[in-house]
Amino acid sequence: MSEDQADVIESLGEFIAHALELEHASEAHYTQLADSMAVHHNAAVETLFRQLAELSTAHAAAIAARVGDTELPRIPPWGFKWECPGAPESSDCLEGDVSYRMTTLQAIEVALHNERRGHAYYLHVADTATDADARALAAEMAAEEAEHVAMLESLLAGQTDADQAPTPDDLDPPHMPG
Amino acid sequence: MTTDLSIPLAVAVTGAGGSGAITAGAILLEAVAAAGLYGLLRRSVGPQIRGGESAALLRFGPRPVHCAGDRCDLLAALDWANHDRFADEIPLDAASLVLADPAGGELPAAVRASGARIIEIGFAAAAAGPGAGHANMVAVGAVGALAGLPLPALLDGAARLLGGKGEAVVTAASFGIRAGFELANPAAALRPAAPLPIQLSPRWRLTGNEAAGLGALRAGVRFVAAYPITPASEMLEWLAPRLERLGGALLQAEDELASVNMIIGSAFGGVPALTATSGPGLSLMLEGIGLAVASETPIVVVNVMRGGPSTGIPTKSEQSDLNAALYGLHGDAPHLVLAALDIADCAHTTAWAVRLAWRLQTAAIVLSDQALGQSRAVCEPLADSSGAEPAARLPAAAGTGPYHRYADTADGVSPMSIPGEPGLAYTADGLEHGASGAPSSRAADHLAQLDKRLRKLADFDFGPDWADIDGAGAENAALCLVTFGSCRGVVVEAAARLRSSGLAVTTVALRLLLPLQRDALHAAIGTAAVLVVEQSHGAQLFRYLNAERALPAAARSLARPGPLALTPAEVVAAATAALADGAPA
Amino acid sequence: MTQTADPAAPHRDAIPSLRAKDYKSDIKPVWCPGCGHFGVLAALTKTLAYLDIAPEQAAVVSGIGCSSRLPAYLSGYGFHGVHGRALPVASGLKAARPDLTVIAAGGDGDGFSIGGNHFLHACRRNQDLTYIVMDNEVYGMTKGQASPTTPPDWAKSKLTPHGTGMPRFKPAAIALAAGAGFVARGFAGDPNGLTELLAAAIQHPGFAFVHVLSPCRTYRPEQQDWKTEVHPCVLGPAHDIAHAAELLQRDDGLALGILYEQRFPVYADGVSADAAGRLADIEAELCR
Repeated sequence: MSEDQADVIESLGEFIAHALELEHASEAHYTQLADSMAVHHNAAVETLFRQLAELSTAHAAAIAARVGDTELPRIPPWGFKWECPGAPESSDCLEGDVSYRMTTLQAIEVALHNERRGHAYYLHVADTATDADARALAAEMAAEEAEHVAMLESLLAGQTDADQAPTPDDLDPPHMPG
Repeated sequence: MTTDLSIPLAVAVTGAGGSGAITAGAILLEAVAAAGLYGLLRRSVGPQIRGGESAALLRFGPRPVHCAGDRCDLLAALDWANHDRFADEIPLDAASLVLADPAGGELPAAVRASGARIIEIGFAAAAAGPGAGHANMVAVGAVGALAGLPLPALLDGAARLLGGKGEAVVTAASFGIRAGFELANPAAALRPAAPLPIQLSPRWRLTGNEAAGLGALRAGVRFVAAYPITPASEMLEWLAPRLERLGGALLQAEDELASVNMIIGSAFGGVPALTATSGPGLSLMLEGIGLAVASETPIVVVNVMRGGPSTGIPTKSEQSDLNAALYGLHGDAPHLVLAALDIADCAHTTAWAVRLAWRLQTAAIVLSDQALGQSRAVCEPLADSSGAEPAARLPAAAGTGPYHRYADTADGVSPMSIPGEPGLAYTADGLEHGASGAPSSRAADHLAQLDKRLRKLADFDFGPDWADIDGAGAENAALCLVTFGSCRGVVVEAAARLRSSGLAVTTVALRLLLPLQRDALHAAIGTAAVLVVEQSHGAQLFRYLNAERALPAAARSLARPGPLALTPAEVVAAATAALADGAPA
Repeated sequence: MTQTADPAAPHRDAIPSLRAKDYKSDIKPVWCPGCGHFGVLAALTKTLAYLDIAPEQAAVVSGIGCSSRLPAYLSGYGFHGVHGRALPVASGLKAARPDLTVIAAGGDGDGFSIGGNHFLHACRRNQDLTYIVMDNEVYGMTKGQASPTTPPDWAKSKLTPHGTGMPRFKPAAIALAAGAGFVARGFAGDPNGLTELLAAAIQHPGFAFVHVLSPCRTYRPEQQDWKTEVHPCVLGPAHDIAHAAELLQRDDGLALGILYEQRFPVYADGVSADAAGRLADIEAELCR
């Protein structure tokens, strides 16, 4: 995504608006995933998604604390400067692996994909923004995002063979066609 | 000549469709009004757009008229085309007078066999004079002269009805009417000429469909969804321009499924709404009516009944949609079913239904029928008596907690918000739901909501309007005639005859059929013998009242299908037979 | 496209995903994880927030089916009616309350099969409504039967074990033929693009039809491929009907964007408070 980034962030306010949108979209996305896991009784995966939602919330709060007097532009939902279909950490509600039968391992992989994209986005802004304050803040965010990625990577590494077992058969499947 | 002038005179004008018989009838009704009398004009037409057969059936007299008579006093036949199709509706006997145009074809054998006195009048020939009138206007003049309607009243009637078509039309009509009036032999007159009233008191001239439309407007209906169907379309057509004048709106829907759901949408938005239909349309609307019940959205459907089942007899009356109105909804769906008792009462019952639907947040079906909807009466204006204010919801107020649209209140009616009100948003649902409106399939929620929707109707005090009760009173009556809807007219007339022969009779005409006011009905019946009178083949009212244990075991039924109107003589005969049969008095 | 926020306003006003929360209820959707409808919900809430339509000024009306559960997940007014009748309820509501933003929503079975007649007539009636159809080419809630948009050879339903054998219903082309003035196609997996379409649809004066490809994770897993198959409608939007018809002739059903936009007179017969007529005059006319 970042390689193709055509638009360049031009002010601190513009960057903060992007960062806040990214984190709040991410929170909303993880909360939605957690809720739907709760509805479908996948408690382990629900817990993981709730934790990720909380991380996004915390991250958003940290960014909000930096708003100060900075004027934020009001950007339409489709006017943000990223090229993936949604915000980088929640770009894709159609992850192939998302299902009510998904394992913790699969959930971590989905999250890792998103967090890596978030990290890449911040790095990209730190690299390309024309405004120095925006570059500096983006670098900070990239560092924090790297921690999320590292945490998920260590979670992934800690998965046991049992966690990585193939998706169990659905004991009570929905009425399936065919 | 009939001596008792209080007995209404029955007049028919018939002819091939397009012959002008219907217009002649309408002018005669206007003349009845101009003469200060009351009248009822029914019409009998075929299903054709034009052509076929047509008959205007007028009954008038010094007192309000609410039903067809037993017989026809005076028939003016512009021609004899297709006369056999409605001969049943125009019973002639030796006392009847028939005006026939010798150019109109051969006298039907049945007419000759009736023994009626035949007078030949050349309607068409007289019309062909220098004034270039029309045969039907000559008939108006001749009928008027023989029926005791003064010439000025006839001319006034023509001017009122045809005035909009220009002076030349009125002049030609006047020519024809005068010619007919002069052609009629005064010696043959059935009534002496009525004196013209010095001052006319205001009278309504309207159809039941128009009256129902008026009732809707009175109760605050400002949105109507419409899909055309015989015999309900005129109600919708009457409403369209008048709603516009009052700031309301009418949408022509693509089908009845749409029209019922459109009024649900309007009512959800807080604007009282109504639609009108007839049997087949009612069947299509039933799912939507159930949705209104479940979502507690107030709607009113006026069902103008016609012969059924299926397409049935669209242009003729019957009361056979009662079962569909009472029982057609799936699930346990308490709702309101009302029936208008006469033409003017279409206004009262419809207005009451709208107000009740909003007071109780449910669906109301108003049963009218072709005999009310498409007949035109000269009658007393009826003040709006079902409430002074337009229909209104129990409003919701934003409180500290979340708003519960379907809160289980003591009387079952929950405060209702409408879109635009902040802090009170909810999603109305046809899915079973809890108090908040959130879908629920829990047993406790289902039971609580079923109970609430039933309780708000079952415990409500509907007041005295549930029925029109007339007569001897429960303690004294030997016979109680129980009926509903348009049959009230014939029952009341029959009861008057029975009383004149010394029988103590009570009549109970049900205006509110669901929820049935059983205790009140028991009280009204007392110990009298009961005859249930209705116009259906399946005795739908009789069976309903029996199923509800509302009738004594010996109650009898007079149930006859359309298309012929029930006559007072039929009811008198059935009542006499029921009493003679040993029903306990 | 950017606007400067009111300096006095909290920063939340500038952040679509944050403001969108105000438009969500606390009811958890019944949809399967991975369902496309989540994307539509997110896009719709962001759109309403962006357009500054207060939750109580919007009413979302639906029929029956998975997607028709949508209104309950929103914080504004909603009407969850019977199968296939979302559009008539919406029509009546809009006529009665022209002040409201009225949106009808539902699925392909609800809108194109049982509600097909209403779809045709809503297109030509041109009331100022938005109609969102979340099309997953299957009846989900009744557990996997073919819908009008299901390919003819999809043989996985027990109801049609040899496939339907019928050509697919073409929503965009039919909307065009029925007289709609706004026809767009979005993809639930592209929530930002969908937001732009929804905003344009809501702002379009007249009936606006937004056909959303919304994959069914459970019964149509192959629809996950839509992610790579959808593409922008490079030839659109058409502004005249001949161009639109040509465009839709060549449409592969996966082109995203506004396909057709044309302004027709809006059906404006609605209830209004400022009429001059009086009921007393109508009463008097009956006595002539």
